[in-house]
Amino acid sequence: MLTLGVMTAIGGFVDIGNLVTSGVTGARFDVSLAWAVALGTIGMVVYGEMAGRVTAVAQRPVFHVVRERLGVRFGLLNLVAACALSALALTAEIGGVALSLELASDVSYLLWVPLVALGVWGVTWRMKFQYMERIFGLMGLALLVFVVALFFLPTDWGALLSSATHPSVPASESYPTYFFYAVSLVGACIVPYQVVFFSAGGLEEGWTVDSLAEMRLNVLVGFPLGGILTLAIMACSAVVLMPLQVNVSHLGEVGLPAAVAFGKAGLAFALVGFFAATFAAAAETALSTGYSMGQYFGWSWGKWLRPTEAPRFHVVVLGTLLLGTAFVLTTIDPIKVTIVSVVLGAAAIPLTYLPILVTANDRDYLGEHVNGWFANALGVLVLLMMLVVSLVAVPLLLWTKAGQ
Amino acid sequence: MMTRWSERVADINDLLLDRQIFDADGHPVGKVDDLELVDANDGGPPVLSAILCGPMAFGPRLGGALGLWWLSVARRLRPDADPTPVRIPFDQVASVDRKQVCLSTRGEDEGPQRLRRWTRDKIVSKIPGGQS
Repeated sequence: MLTLGVMTAIGGFVDIGNLVTSGVTGARFDVSLAWAVALGTIGMVVYGEMAGRVTAVAQRPVFHVVRERLGVRFGLLNLVAACALSALALTAEIGGVALSLELASDVSYLLWVPLVALGVWGVTWRMKFQYMERIFGLMGLALLVFVVALFFLPTDWGALLSSATHPSVPASESYPTYFFYAVSLVGACIVPYQVVFFSAGGLEEGWTVDSLAEMRLNVLVGFPLGGILTLAIMACSAVVLMPLQVNVSHLGEVGLPAAVAFGKAGLAFALVGFFAATFAAAAETALSTGYSMGQYFGWSWGKWLRPTEAPRFHVVVLGTLLLGTAFVLTTIDPIKVTIVSVVLGAAAIPLTYLPILVTANDRDYLGEHVNGWFANALGVLVLLMMLVVSLVAVPLLLWTKAGQ
Repeated sequence: MMTRWSERVADINDLLLDRQIFDADGHPVGKVDDLELVDANDGGPPVLSAILCGPMAFGPRLGGALGLWWLSVARRLRPDADPTPVRIPFDQVASVDRKQVCLSTRGEDEGPQRLRRWTRDKIVSKIPGGQS
């Protein structure tokens, strides 16, 4: 019942981008960027709930609403941006799955890439939506090892708390870099494909107006769980890697604290978690391109239909997967692709979230379930935050050369 | 079934364009990409005669160089010599509301579903597991 929210959060929040960014920021900035994760989580909860409500009550997922509200041209611009970003993210996630397998097997990640792509395609092509949610949601919980590890490591809780509540830029870092990583963390929490996947997933599960309570439970458990996992990875990194001055640039270093706390078993849990999170994210990004195209053009779409009943949807998903796989095989660094795609994603966010806010206020669509003043106040505040993030994202990316 | 369109006063932009179209079985058909208006016989205001959908209608709707490019690609992909956009005459429309347009007809592979049929027959059903 909770699996959609958990799977969305495991694959959306804790994807390769977030794993690496939280590991990097923990090692470089202590937990002084915890506020960015908190802000991103709040934003995702607010808009996840709104999109979920529009889906459950009016049966209209995100890209239906985007086309209806933004019209053909702006809608198309948004569609192209969203699909391009999903394809970039997919590239990074396939790389991430392959990197986790490399860490477990010592076989180069490039050899794993074709197998991973085949696996992701198998899941999108044949696996029932509910099984997919359960398998990856549950496996992803292995990441809780980072939360547990904090209690076994020599964690100075007072210092962590004061770093989180009194954010400051460490002497060795510059302000632009600090804010670049803040934008990356917020962007990684509210990536558009996440809300596309969550709302389409609601229809896959057959949500109706009676499912509102279930939807809210998914939002309130799933996304904060993703936020907590992100914070735990950041804190572990701050406790273990910062004193050693490790410059995190690889997935293996992110998993190091779990190994320090629990040895091989800890590392195994971390790797299973990395695998599940990146695999789930790969499936989410691939499916979300199919979902958004199908919704924008009014096709039949979804995994609840047999492939022959939604052929265009499956062709788009397969095409995106081939594109992403080809891109990883150029040996481009998956971690760089991630950071760039998250920041570009942050720049495109308001175009996806504004139509949701507008529709959530439309009585023809939602009847008595329209936004109350509280949801609207939060929605506007979050949208303003996204606007700021989207305006500074690209300049910061160029200025800091992606945080170097 | 008669449409009761004439009884309704509405802003086309607000009510019709870009809405989802469903057939009589509730299967998605496409979007209202454009509308066909004809002059009334009695010299009155133009009358809405059909919904246009599919790539041939989407291109002109986009406008600009991109729309032209879209249209010419769509034209190349059509088998007929003189391609026109897919027309859904308005008397096939069963109901219209803010959220959707429902048709009184059904027809899997007709008009707007050509791309669907093509991807199904040429790609999806040839991949293992695509049939069942």
